Amino acid sequence: MMMIRQAAKKALGLTSRQSTPCSVGIFRSYHENVIDHYDNPRNVGSFDKNDPTVGTGLVGAPACGDVMKLQIKVDEKTGQIVDARFKTFGCGSAIASSSVATEWVKGKAMEEVLTIKNTEIAKHLSLPPVKLHCSMLAEDAIKAAVKDYKEKRVKTNGA
Amino acid sequence: MNRARKLVASISTLSTRRRTYSPSSTFRTISINSQTHHSSRRESFQPSSSSAKPLWLRFSGREFSSGSSDTTSSSVCWNCGFLSEKAAFLFCESCRSIQPIDDSVDYFQIFDLEKKYELDAGSLEGKYKDWQKKLHPDLVHNKSQKERDYAADQSAKVTEAYRTLTKRLSRAMYIMKLNGKNVNEEETITDPTLLMEIMELRETIAEANDSKELDQIRSQVQEKLKQWSDSFVEAFESQRFDEAVKCIQRMTYYERACEEIVKKL
Repeated sequence: MMMIRQAAKKALGLTSRQSTPCSVGIFRSYHENVIDHYDNPRNVGSFDKNDPTVGTGLVGAPACGDVMKLQIKVDEKTGQIVDARFKTFGCGSAIASSSVATEWVKGKAMEEVLTIKNTEIAKHLSLPPVKLHCSMLAEDAIKAAVKDYKEKRVKTNGA
Repeated sequence: MNRARKLVASISTLSTRRRTYSPSSTFRTISINSQTHHSSRRESFQPSSSSAKPLWLRFSGREFSSGSSDTTSSSVCWNCGFLSEKAAFLFCESCRSIQPIDDSVDYFQIFDLEKKYELDAGSLEGKYKDWQKKLHPDLVHNKSQKERDYAADQSAKVTEAYRTLTKRLSRAMYIMKLNGKNVNEEETITDPTLLMEIMELRETIAEANDSKELDQIRSQVQEKLKQWSDSFVEAFESQRFDEAVKCIQRMTYYERACEEIVKKL
């Protein structure tokens, strides 16, 4: 199974681009979902921070030097998240976790996305225990983005 | 303390010559006591005891200069039973047989360095090479399997110690750990100033394609590393540990950025 995956990776030219995992294990490889998100990242990019419909969550994991930015675009009338973007500098698991997060928040209400748990992201990506904190970072990024949007609303409404 | 009681009981078998040393702590008495019971070892001790400075006095000198942790840890040689006041590293002082790893020996002790952040890289490297000469496999191949295994473990520990102490960041984290402050907690941080700076830095690196540009960025980051490394020393020495942790966090981010640059170059 491992051999086939390795061969497939080589065929797709993935081995050279694959960043070394934070934990070095010769026989450990990324789950195909992670590789998928890494190679076909959904929703990479930025929104205008100053746009009042945008909430920006900027979080970091100092232990491994990861930094993650997740932005949501909210429909003011319905309170639903219509679009999301992310930019992450870190290991493959962190990138994949934030990519999954942007996919999952689209089309959902803000209160609903606050219930997204890091364990669900980790399960979807089959993250090993050592990478669980990457999914935690994504959960925190979602919460930070929602919080930022709400704070901006309070400011504009209050002013 | 049980060990102390057992050995104190054998004080009555002391010869008069031993009594003239007038040791100031029970442990020292015990170390001399244990020698009398190993007749094979007596000969090896006679010359050292008749030298200008008896062995145990030399221990006391080291004890006072290298910090209190040495007085609490002691070790017994598996080969000759010599009880040393300080944790034995590598060799037993008495019979020169290789000792198993003692976890109480920290990396600074291995290289005979003071437990502080600043150190002389050149002298560290020199000491490391000296140790590797002593631990060379050729020197142990004629010893027992047990000793060869111990030598392999000790060699690994020395290498680990050297690697940890050479790099500023790992040295900083280690020194915090020795003081009971664990830095590597996987907590998310949300400090916008720091994170935005790092975001921009990483974006610049990602967009830079010119090696000259990358070198320029790298020297800027090295500058920052030096700056925060100095801040760390200051914070640590003033016991402002929370600030010290923040310095280490910044250093981690800058180190990652440097690694990215190196990958691109």
